[in-house]
Amino acid sequence: MNVIGSLYFYVCAAVAIAGAIATVTARNPIRGAVSLLVMVVSIAGLFLALSAEFLAAIQLIVYAGAIVVLFLFVIMILGESSSSVHDKKRIVSRTLAAALLGAVSLGAIVLVVGVSTPLQAPRIRAGFGGIDAIGRALFSDWVVPFELSSALLMVAVLGAVAIAKGDIKRPLESAATTPGSASEEQP
Amino acid sequence: MMSLSETIWAVVKILIMVGFLFNVGGLLTWLDRRQSAMIQDRIGPNRAVIKVFGIEFRLGGLLHPLADGVKFFFKEDFIPPRGDKLLFAVAPILVMAPVLALIAVIPFGDKLCVDDLWRTTDTGSLLFPAVPRYGSCLIPVARGGIAAIDLQVASLNVGILYVFALAGQGIVGAALAGWSSDNKFSLLGALRAASQMVSYEVTIGMSLVGALMIYGSVRMGDMVRWQGDHAWGIFIQPLAFFMFFMAAVAESKRIPFDLPEAESELVSGYFTEYSGMKFGMFYFAEYMEVVTSSMLLVTIFLGGWQLPFLHRDGLTIDIGTWRALQLPMNHLTVTAIQVCTFFGKVLFLCWIQCFVRWSLPRFRYDQLMKLCWRILLPLSLANILVTGVVYLLLDHAGPVLGNTLQMIGDLTQAVVAIAITYFVLSIVIGLIRPTRRTSWVVGSTAKLAQRFGGTPRSPRMQA
Amino acid sequence: MLSTYAPMFMIIAIATLIAGLFYTFATVLGPKNPTPEKMMPFECGSDSVGSRGVKLSVKFYLTAILFVVFDIEAVFVYPWAIQFRQLGWFGLASMIGFLSVVAIALVYVWRKGALEWES
Repeated sequence: MNVIGSLYFYVCAAVAIAGAIATVTARNPIRGAVSLLVMVVSIAGLFLALSAEFLAAIQLIVYAGAIVVLFLFVIMILGESSSSVHDKKRIVSRTLAAALLGAVSLGAIVLVVGVSTPLQAPRIRAGFGGIDAIGRALFSDWVVPFELSSALLMVAVLGAVAIAKGDIKRPLESAATTPGSASEEQP
Repeated sequence: MMSLSETIWAVVKILIMVGFLFNVGGLLTWLDRRQSAMIQDRIGPNRAVIKVFGIEFRLGGLLHPLADGVKFFFKEDFIPPRGDKLLFAVAPILVMAPVLALIAVIPFGDKLCVDDLWRTTDTGSLLFPAVPRYGSCLIPVARGGIAAIDLQVASLNVGILYVFALAGQGIVGAALAGWSSDNKFSLLGALRAASQMVSYEVTIGMSLVGALMIYGSVRMGDMVRWQGDHAWGIFIQPLAFFMFFMAAVAESKRIPFDLPEAESELVSGYFTEYSGMKFGMFYFAEYMEVVTSSMLLVTIFLGGWQLPFLHRDGLTIDIGTWRALQLPMNHLTVTAIQVCTFFGKVLFLCWIQCFVRWSLPRFRYDQLMKLCWRILLPLSLANILVTGVVYLLLDHAGPVLGNTLQMIGDLTQAVVAIAITYFVLSIVIGLIRPTRRTSWVVGSTAKLAQRFGGTPRSPRMQA
Repeated sequence: MLSTYAPMFMIIAIATLIAGLFYTFATVLGPKNPTPEKMMPFECGSDSVGSRGVKLSVKFYLTAILFVVFDIEAVFVYPWAIQFRQLGWFGLASMIGFLSVVAIALVYVWRKGALEWES
């Protein structure tokens, strides 16, 4: 890998990690969502470096375009109540859990790097990672998983409807309920 | 690494596309006001004036966009004190930048062979060679020729998916603008904008599938070439064209889909709290979106840079197997015509969009969502199904039908050729013919009333 | 490998630069003269009442979920559409199977009234 290539990788990786850290540490939920967006975009950049062009585009369309927008929606709908109440009670257990998880994944990485021989990056064929290659693979070897994934999508919709069940018939927009006037809002 | 010539070409192509986008975006702000004035029988913007040696130039109000731009920069800057200042700054950039960047994959001409544009012979005279219709340049790369240059900024394999990937970021920008403004109306506008844009993005995506099935490629250059060889996308996927058009207008949030910024309900929607050029960025991004959506429509459905019967090697009129006319042309002329054709078609569609904007009233919110989820989405799914079945049936039908189809395709090209000729002629005639200005809206109403014996209030109303 | 994408990075950089410059110039060149009235959120001239939040229908959330679902569906449909000519009837059948399941989800949401925005 040439100098520019490695530089590109390190920049993308650093931004991705910084975005991830900002996502979990942000006090303001919207800023958290934006940090997630930053992370997702830099991961798409990493995909691009692996010439997985289609995957990079999908990363942007699905994660940056859809998932982050969904998060923004939910945060906006919840309004001010979505701001997390900063609880200090569980800070010890949280730190412990994070440290444990980090140690395990670090151990796994060390194990993998130590055991396996250095990877010789295989020379990729023309059209690798393109939309044609993905399509051919998806509809020859992976038809059954593909069909099953539709059920997953359906379950997602059913779950969302189940969550929203009672509130579907409510009007689109109404003034915010302040604690004092909450009772007036009930139909 | 890129070589020097590649870098220069990339910069030139970016300058062409971004320059076009900027200038036409600015022009559209003028056209929009001028067109609305014509439609509503007003004069429209005509006050901006520039004085050169004591002579005043008004240029039909063309200076207004310029004056607006300058004014925007010097307007008072305002940042809501209780809002989120960082996100308030990020939002307009996140709205404007993707619109500029997503034109990277739109081709504005066929492959350009730099070597074959002109050549000096031994005697010193200029020679304009022609290139073959298929295949690339006269001198192949192996024998020292320069590789053909794609007339698009970045020829990515993902093609149209790159456009979708970037367009999605604009939604985030709109949502952030509303959230960080510390204003109820902004928040409502942002939510409306986001939910409208995500809904119509589904329609945009699904309506395109039928066209992609037929073109067999997501690369936009391939789509245009297919349309040149067979028939324009609008004839093959008429339903998809109209659905895509509708969804594209909805994506740009203009009338009749301007609910996120409905003035009578939400002040200015998600950018209410923005002032000066920061507001201008949203406003300008909207106009540039009109241009980019026109570019997409032209490329996918209206043959891109193609003119009927004009191929890389010149004008060849084939109807089925009958050759009506063959006129070889050199590469320079063909390329110039094709690039002008692309930009001309884009301008035409921009004008159509302005016309739509001033002809239709605003939808209600429920109508908007109903149109998307309950009409357009099922229709686009049905479109995929029908396209699939019809294509496979025709594919198995044999050579006779294939020839007939090619004949029909050539006929549609002929229809387009006639339509374009008629349109261009009528524009020229309209420009030449002297116009007599009458205030015909008031006059015609009165005339109409008189023809039907006057109105009940004034039976003998005079025209 | 990355040099293929260099023009794309260039145009993205230029676009961001242009947008950034617009914002910077607007901030630098514009005068600032804040008054208490001016700093209030503009709500058609009347004073802002209550908290900033607005109680919103859960339908917006359902729209977002539907969007995610159909976006992911589109991700599967595009590679299929490109390969459609090679896949033939088999491909069409498998896509109809996939789409019909998602269509059932759409019909379910429809019947549950989440696509009725008339209220």
